[in-house]
Amino acid sequence: MTDRRRNTLILLIVAGLIAASLAAIATKKTRLGLDLKGGVELIYQAKPTAQSKVDAESLNRAIDIMRKRVDQLGVAQPEIQRSGADEIDVALPDVTNAARAEDEVGKTAQLFFYDWEPNVIGPTGKPAGTGESTVTGGPRAGEAQFGLPQYQAVVRAAKRAPELRKTDTTWSKGCTPAQAGGCIYGSWYLLEPKHEKVLLGPEETEANLFTEGKFKKGPNVKVVRVNPGTVLVQARPVESTAGKVTQKSPNSYFVMKDDPVLTGADVKNPRQSFDEGGGGSGAPNVTFEFTGHGKSVFQQVTKEIAHRGQEAQLPGTGGKEAVQQHFAVVLDGQLITTPSIDFTKYPEGIDASTGSQISGGFTISSAQELAQELQSGALPIKLELISNSQVSATLGKTALNQGLVALLVGFGVVCLFLLLFYRVLGAIAIGGLLIYGIYFYALIKLIPITLTLPGIAGLILTIGVAADANIVIFERVKEEIRGGRSVISGIATGYKRGFAAIVDANVVTFMTAFILFALATAEVKGFAFTLGIGTLVSLFTAVLATQAALGAMGRSKLVTHPAALGASRRGKGWTFDFMGASKWFFSLSGTILLIGAIAIGGNGLNFGIDFKSGTRIQTAFVKPVSESQIESVMKSAGYGNAEIQKFNNKSIGGDGFQISTKTLKPDKVKGIKAALDAKFGSGGTGSGSVAGTKNFSSTSIGPTFGKTVANSAIIAIIASLLVISAYIALRFEWKYAIPVLIALMHDLLITAGVYSLTGREVTTSTVAALLTILGYSLYDTIIVFDRVRENVPRMPRAAFSQIVNRSMSEVLTRSLATSFCTLLPVLALLLFGGETLKDFAFALIVGVASGAYSSIFIASPVLTHWKEREGSYRSRRARIVRELGAVPAYATVAGGAPEDVEPAKQRKRNVSIFGSGAAAPGQTGDEISRDEFQELVRDLDVEGTPGTGPGRSAATGVAQKPRRTKQPEQTPPEVPNGGQAPRDPAADLTPEDLVLKDDKTTPKRKRARNKRHGRR
Amino acid sequence: MGLLAWVMMGLAIWHYTIFLPDRFWGGIVGAFVGSLIGAIVVGLIIYSVKVSALKIPGEKATDVSVVLYAIPGALIGMGVVYLEGMRRERARAALAEDA
Repeated sequence: MTDRRRNTLILLIVAGLIAASLAAIATKKTRLGLDLKGGVELIYQAKPTAQSKVDAESLNRAIDIMRKRVDQLGVAQPEIQRSGADEIDVALPDVTNAARAEDEVGKTAQLFFYDWEPNVIGPTGKPAGTGESTVTGGPRAGEAQFGLPQYQAVVRAAKRAPELRKTDTTWSKGCTPAQAGGCIYGSWYLLEPKHEKVLLGPEETEANLFTEGKFKKGPNVKVVRVNPGTVLVQARPVESTAGKVTQKSPNSYFVMKDDPVLTGADVKNPRQSFDEGGGGSGAPNVTFEFTGHGKSVFQQVTKEIAHRGQEAQLPGTGGKEAVQQHFAVVLDGQLITTPSIDFTKYPEGIDASTGSQISGGFTISSAQELAQELQSGALPIKLELISNSQVSATLGKTALNQGLVALLVGFGVVCLFLLLFYRVLGAIAIGGLLIYGIYFYALIKLIPITLTLPGIAGLILTIGVAADANIVIFERVKEEIRGGRSVISGIATGYKRGFAAIVDANVVTFMTAFILFALATAEVKGFAFTLGIGTLVSLFTAVLATQAALGAMGRSKLVTHPAALGASRRGKGWTFDFMGASKWFFSLSGTILLIGAIAIGGNGLNFGIDFKSGTRIQTAFVKPVSESQIESVMKSAGYGNAEIQKFNNKSIGGDGFQISTKTLKPDKVKGIKAALDAKFGSGGTGSGSVAGTKNFSSTSIGPTFGKTVANSAIIAIIASLLVISAYIALRFEWKYAIPVLIALMHDLLITAGVYSLTGREVTTSTVAALLTILGYSLYDTIIVFDRVRENVPRMPRAAFSQIVNRSMSEVLTRSLATSFCTLLPVLALLLFGGETLKDFAFALIVGVASGAYSSIFIASPVLTHWKEREGSYRSRRARIVRELGAVPAYATVAGGAPEDVEPAKQRKRNVSIFGSGAAAPGQTGDEISRDEFQELVRDLDVEGTPGTGPGRSAATGVAQKPRRTKQPEQTPPEVPNGGQAPRDPAADLTPEDLVLKDDKTTPKRKRARNKRHGRR
Repeated sequence: MGLLAWVMMGLAIWHYTIFLPDRFWGGIVGAFVGSLIGAIVVGLIIYSVKVSALKIPGEKATDVSVVLYAIPGALIGMGVVYLEGMRRERARAALAEDA
């Protein structure tokens, strides 16, 4: 396919995709995350139960059940997803009551039916049986006054030997009943014997008791294990004589043999109803039916219970109530009801074909709640709420606006920079960026990606990445044109040679984004996803689309003049001795790190609640309020230790307060809000009252969440480093990977040092930004290393430091340009983004700047030092020193021109331009058609008259291949002794040598190629 | 946190090896490894002796003095790598002379 056809095809595809994208944008809705539209987010950590381990299957089952529950709440577009190995993230847009959401979504709702009397354990450690009414409660079975305080119940339960059921997850190979660690065996409690107090429990493992760091092992505390087969059941809620619940959670427990006869799975069609049967109280209850299995078991068990009651009744005694036996219904570890079975009425058990009911102490809403929980089913695993946050809708809207402003400003400044620096090429790059924006927005809607604030940060960063790809190519194009190629040839070669570096850099960014997505928390996932997708899309738009556009414009006057591309002036180039000066830059880095390390010792890092756990409330007030007023409200609410800070934030509408305290459950946060509303509002609770707070938002993080975030970040960093090293080793050579790792370490540690020095808060966003730095700071390093790799065969006699110096001088401009171009949108984020975006932006600015610096002044010198130890470079250096007394910064040929020797392979490929063909003029080694060859000839004519044009050697007038006549852009450094020095041994060939050599070899190559052409 | 500070200190000190002749075993990368390992190991030893338990200082326990524990380790680590480098260099030279 000819270039023209190829370009036309690509442009048609691009246009088609634009049309499709615009259609998608017009028809599909954008899904906004909670941080942009308000709502409640709950993050649960799954814990195993005796019935189920935490694995993919149980997590997915739990998610299905939670989804049903959320549907019952009537929430539109909820998002429930797995996060990490054992977390479930529930995002409920537009929900304002976090406490209710928590109650209804994450409750385990495990329902068990027990035969009461044979399972209640007495003081002997054995079932109490029918006779011990003081243990079971007798006719008042399950009432709080008959249970034991929790401490005593635990002590009694702990004495029992393990009894495993075949359904228990503990019943597996490798786990023995005597084994404590590693397997799930019963439940663990932390006791304080002195005060007969249960400090913590039940937990699945002993280690869990100390995870929060609240308690430490010591002489005052005792760890106790309740073996499997024994369970503590909390007594029924205490009710008044009027049937009203006066104590929902009494400190009264029954020790039971964990042998339920039925579970929630045996129940179907539960619904809230009223006790309206004969003699019914009219109180709310829950009616349900049993499954086939449930029916038969229920009848069988109630028959046994009835028989036991009958046997217990002494002949001649009339009162059956005293001996009636009971059936117990336990929900999430608490007795709900313990109905007695009337053996005179049901001597053969209760026929459950018409269903059954649970009653006692329900209100209409609590009965509805239970019915819904039973309807959706019990969660197979225990879920612990480790983080909850609530964002007001107004706050979300403000954050969205700030994000969009940052996005537009970022885009604008990048466009301006491209236009000023690259003129026509810049305009084409802007076109590419616009196309990128359209594609990306369409993808966000089509996939659909839930757009969050971190996602917007990722999107803004990808603008920089997309522009960087163009910069790398354009700089190369300019270099090729300045080196003597025609504009068209320069464009083709520039794209071809720049492509490898861009692919390498983008692959690394993409891999880091992928690792981040796989390992990070939900908040960071949005960022990683947009970064990953954006990197791929930008590769297409920034390389293929712009190349096709430029190719199509190849004949246009707009691009045929070098001035239009910003390539008319021969760049003065860099003549700095980068390697020679590296010791000073090393010292600078060492000093910065030293200061950073001491700062970490002195100040530490200011970890946010994401890591330290706690609750943070941010709110504004409808009227002026002082810190002391809030403090007094918090004190009266029982949070005297709360920290109160005044701050100004546009997101919450100006002046507001941040209240930080220990981790609170959603209902407690709700209580604080109510207290603040009541104190600072207009008073009253009627419809005319005005709440005191506005734009109230809260975030509560449990201690395990911070640990999870930190662990996943460490794993992500290690995984990224390994993957990056493997990739660099594969694409370059393994010796190139080590300097890259050292430079990355340098960047991360400097960022940590800066955070310590400035006292900025370290949040999950900071971690995401740090991980992004891992991928992005390589961009510049890869650009430099790519050029080193290219120059190594071109400078066969030069010392490695000379090769690196030369490479740096060639690519420094583009390194600076790419870093600057990325910093522009990130700066826009810092200036115009909301708080979350500012977090990202700050870490990214430090990281990108440090990354650009380290690629030039750390990675390259380390590579140089290491490579120069290799035998060949050692001998080159020794030879140069022997002949010149010292190694000059740059390898030069006689007369001071830089050495530029083509490797044999390159030379061979160059000749193909004149032979069987090239894809485009100057694009060596590929085939061209006869027409294209004619086009090439016309191109050369445009360039100037033979002997004087840039494609020809000014000195000899002999036509040279463009690649060979290329002049490096930098002014060559002075040769020692003012150019009168002996010839630099690094430069074994002069330009004249090259011309002569070419002249000799060209005809031969032509013949060879013609022969090959003839064979096809 | 202590580990982070020690690694940082080790890396900081390593930067100054650029002023020394490159006789490290494994070159500048060898010095890097020596500095980091030395900083961590000696830091850990000093801290463990201080608190009488083998553990890495946490966030609260990391102060400036803990950070400084890394300095002797980094120097020792690099010194060992340097001496080994010199030993190998001499051995190589002797071998060359013999040949």
